[in-house]
Amino acid sequence: MGNHHLGEFEEIVLLTVAILHDEAYGIAIINEMETRLHRKVSIGALQTVLRRLEKKSFLTSKFGEKTKIRGGKRKRFFSLTLYGKKVLTEIKEQRMGLWSALPEFAFSS
Amino acid sequence: MARQNRQSPPKLFLQFFRWYCNPDYLEDIEGDLLERFERGKEGRGRKSARLRFVIEVILLFRPGIIRSIASTQKLNQIDMFKNYYKIAWRHIIKEKFYSLINIAGLGVGLTCCILIAFFVMHELSYDNYHQKSDRTYRILQEYRSGSERATAPAAEEYQVWGNAPVGPAFKEEFPEVDQFCRFTPGHSKLIMANDELYDEKNIVFGDSTVFDVFSWDLLSGNPQSVLDNPNSIVLTESLAKKYFGNENAMGKTVIYNEDVACIVTGIMKDVPINSHFTFEGIISMSTFYNQRQSIFESWGYVDFYTYFTLKENSTIESIKPKLAGLAEKYTGDWENTKFYIDVEPMKEAYLNSVAARQPGKTGSKTNNTIFSLIGVFILLIACINFINLSTARSLERAKEIGIRKVVGARKLSLVSQFLSEFFILALFAGVLSLSLVLLLSPYLKEFTGVNIEASDIFNIEFLGLFSLGIIIVGLIAGSYPAFLLSKFQPSKVLRGNFKTGKSGVALRKALVLFQFVLTITLIIGTITIYNQLTYLQNHELGFEKDQILVMEFGFDGEVQENIEAIKNEFEKDPNVLSICASRAVPGNFFPNGGTEIENADGIMISHSPAVYEIDPDFLSFYNIKILAGRSFSYAQYSDSVEALIINNAAAKLWGYNNPEDIIGKNFDQWGKTGKVIGVVDDFNYLSLHSAVEPLTLRFEPYSMAKFSLKISTGSIPLTIKSIEEKWKELIPQRPFSYYFIDDNFDKQYRSDEKFAQLFSSFAVLAIFIAGLGLIGLTTYSAAQRTKEIGIRKVMGASVSTIVLLLSKEFSKLLALAFIIAIPASWYGIQAWLNNFAYKVTMGAWVYLLTAVTVGIIVLISISWQSIKVALQNPVNSLRNE
Repeated sequence: MGNHHLGEFEEIVLLTVAILHDEAYGIAIINEMETRLHRKVSIGALQTVLRRLEKKSFLTSKFGEKTKIRGGKRKRFFSLTLYGKKVLTEIKEQRMGLWSALPEFAFSS
Repeated sequence: MARQNRQSPPKLFLQFFRWYCNPDYLEDIEGDLLERFERGKEGRGRKSARLRFVIEVILLFRPGIIRSIASTQKLNQIDMFKNYYKIAWRHIIKEKFYSLINIAGLGVGLTCCILIAFFVMHELSYDNYHQKSDRTYRILQEYRSGSERATAPAAEEYQVWGNAPVGPAFKEEFPEVDQFCRFTPGHSKLIMANDELYDEKNIVFGDSTVFDVFSWDLLSGNPQSVLDNPNSIVLTESLAKKYFGNENAMGKTVIYNEDVACIVTGIMKDVPINSHFTFEGIISMSTFYNQRQSIFESWGYVDFYTYFTLKENSTIESIKPKLAGLAEKYTGDWENTKFYIDVEPMKEAYLNSVAARQPGKTGSKTNNTIFSLIGVFILLIACINFINLSTARSLERAKEIGIRKVVGARKLSLVSQFLSEFFILALFAGVLSLSLVLLLSPYLKEFTGVNIEASDIFNIEFLGLFSLGIIIVGLIAGSYPAFLLSKFQPSKVLRGNFKTGKSGVALRKALVLFQFVLTITLIIGTITIYNQLTYLQNHELGFEKDQILVMEFGFDGEVQENIEAIKNEFEKDPNVLSICASRAVPGNFFPNGGTEIENADGIMISHSPAVYEIDPDFLSFYNIKILAGRSFSYAQYSDSVEALIINNAAAKLWGYNNPEDIIGKNFDQWGKTGKVIGVVDDFNYLSLHSAVEPLTLRFEPYSMAKFSLKISTGSIPLTIKSIEEKWKELIPQRPFSYYFIDDNFDKQYRSDEKFAQLFSSFAVLAIFIAGLGLIGLTTYSAAQRTKEIGIRKVMGASVSTIVLLLSKEFSKLLALAFIIAIPASWYGIQAWLNNFAYKVTMGAWVYLLTAVTVGIIVLISISWQSIKVALQNPVNSLRNE
């Protein structure tokens, strides 16, 4: 494998969606990223990535209930597909492999 | 309101977002935006939240979010167009016969149009290639004598051919004139090059300014100075090749008239075909000046074509008022004659000049107009076929249209559907016509000299224009049917008993009538043109032209010295029946000369008639009738010194209606004085385009240039061979060249013949297209009435009654077309016939013949189908109900 090139931002978005579990919709994802990573994210940047990941079937989405605060608009909740989970796990294992191969003295100086 | 407004996000940006956002994403992203805005308002305040909102909207405007162009309305339209083309294509395939008629008709029509356009463009392009053509003019001259001298000549009376000093005088007197350039006509010149003798008819003398005034391409040599020195010659590429083959001709010597050695100082490209004046070589004018200085000062000696260019920023209008003054200054002292000058733009020389004695062939504006009209007519006929067939057959498509409308097609989309269908047909026709043009271009070149190369067609300009033309044709032919078809009401159409409206039928009839009128006009035109040409060729010219051979010796001094002995030698040949010598022969070049003859009141009156220099055998040789007096005679020595013969037109010009009365009157011409001794009947020494002009004939042993030989009808090649052998023995210093006088005379009608051939080919094509349309229409109307015909047959109608029934409609139209076409064509033909002084009379038989021809063509077109239908067994047509 290893052919699914996930960008750094894509990876973060996938992870955040996974963290938020059933509550992963646009603003929630942005808030989570802002609090955990102290990183400013625009709706445009996030939404393009979300749609792209959905198109590549890392993610699926479904509409939720209407809420008043959103001017009566429904939320779209994202969740990881099996494939998405698999790819994320793979990436994690690759990283871990790399880390474990790292000789200790490399960081000691 | 305003307060509340500030509580909500900026409306304009929200709307902008809604407009661009992919509808699939719109709801949840808009929700996100609003949620963020609300939270931001609570946190950092209204203003910052609004700003944030604007930024978010702008940042959302990116490819992943924006609705795709293809996925919306426009994609839908492309699909519809695809569908239109599919349907159109199916329809074309299904109705092969009608599609073929439409495509063939339009294609042939377009081909005619393109060919005609190329021809007319060529005619219009004459002399435009000269860089200074906008400010190049030529000088026209005319001498008026006697009682006419005070009245300025008419435009047709001016001559392009004039005297030598007027050019230099222009340059001296008028500051507006930049350069002038003179040519002499290319009379036959004896040229020796590479030890070979040639009789050249197209080498001229030209001023050294030639390459300044005109933009002919000089391949080698210095354009400023090639013709500066005496005894220089510039050859065209083809003449250089003829003389020296592939060798470089520059610097070689060419001997002119046996003793003038000229150095080749330049080689120029051949004069382009679209030039009103062409030549093959130029000898420097100073060479001519050295030979005959006196004529360069003589205002009365005519042998030059004079062109001049204006300085930039000068206008010809400022010169025109000064022309009379210039003539007065130099020729004011003339007693009996007044000299007139006029100028005309060189660009007009080919098509718009009516002046006499042109240096080359001229075009005809009338012919161009006629051809352009024919092109339009043919295209119209093809378009009419298209309209007729599509409207007539609209019933076939009625159901389709009904269903489309029910399903929700708008009128406009139906129009565009049909138009796109017609465009496909027009496109096919266009491709067909382009291939036809390429296929036919060699014939066009042979006919008219107009060369169409593939590169003339496959360039952006042409293809652009052509596509535009196709679109226009598609619109002309297609818009009426398209609008008619799209007007159908689905409720009526789908109910079943739908009939096309009466208006369509009336229009169809009118269009067929129009086609008939055009066709009949073209046929009448063709018949008349051929009629006129045969008339010209069989016209009694007043002299004999059969079996007469003309041999030129170009004023050779030795021949002139021994002319009678040489004539005797030739006459010894048993195949030579008789012989005479002269300077000019009918159908050929001749000079004009200022001539004074005494009128009835004893006053010498001056005119400038044509001059033929002949020997005493000439008149009897050519069988020219003597009306009064006598011919020249060898017995009377004084005949070559003080005698003149004139033709009847000249006698009338001097006011003698009875030719007897002018005999014995005094004359004064070219240094010769004496008495008029004879009057000959008018014979047509020029083409029959013009009436016989006044002519004088003088016996001048030392001005002879040609022998005319009447030969027996036996083996002509053998006779010519034996004559040639004799020539080599008698006149070895001259090349042997000959032509038959009737061939030469008929050459004058070659352009008329070409016109006739072109005209008739286009007429045939027009008739062909109209015939195609008729076949299509009758096929359709017969198919419509299959049942009716079946029932009639069952009731006992004969085949002929049914054919008659089907033809009746068209026969009525045909009769009506005749009533319209006869006056229309008569008018057009009279305009064309006015080109000729001798016109054929238009007999009723022309119309009768046309009626029969058109009748037959129409009948064939109609009966093709109607007989087939009439012969069908009614069982077949009535069985399937």
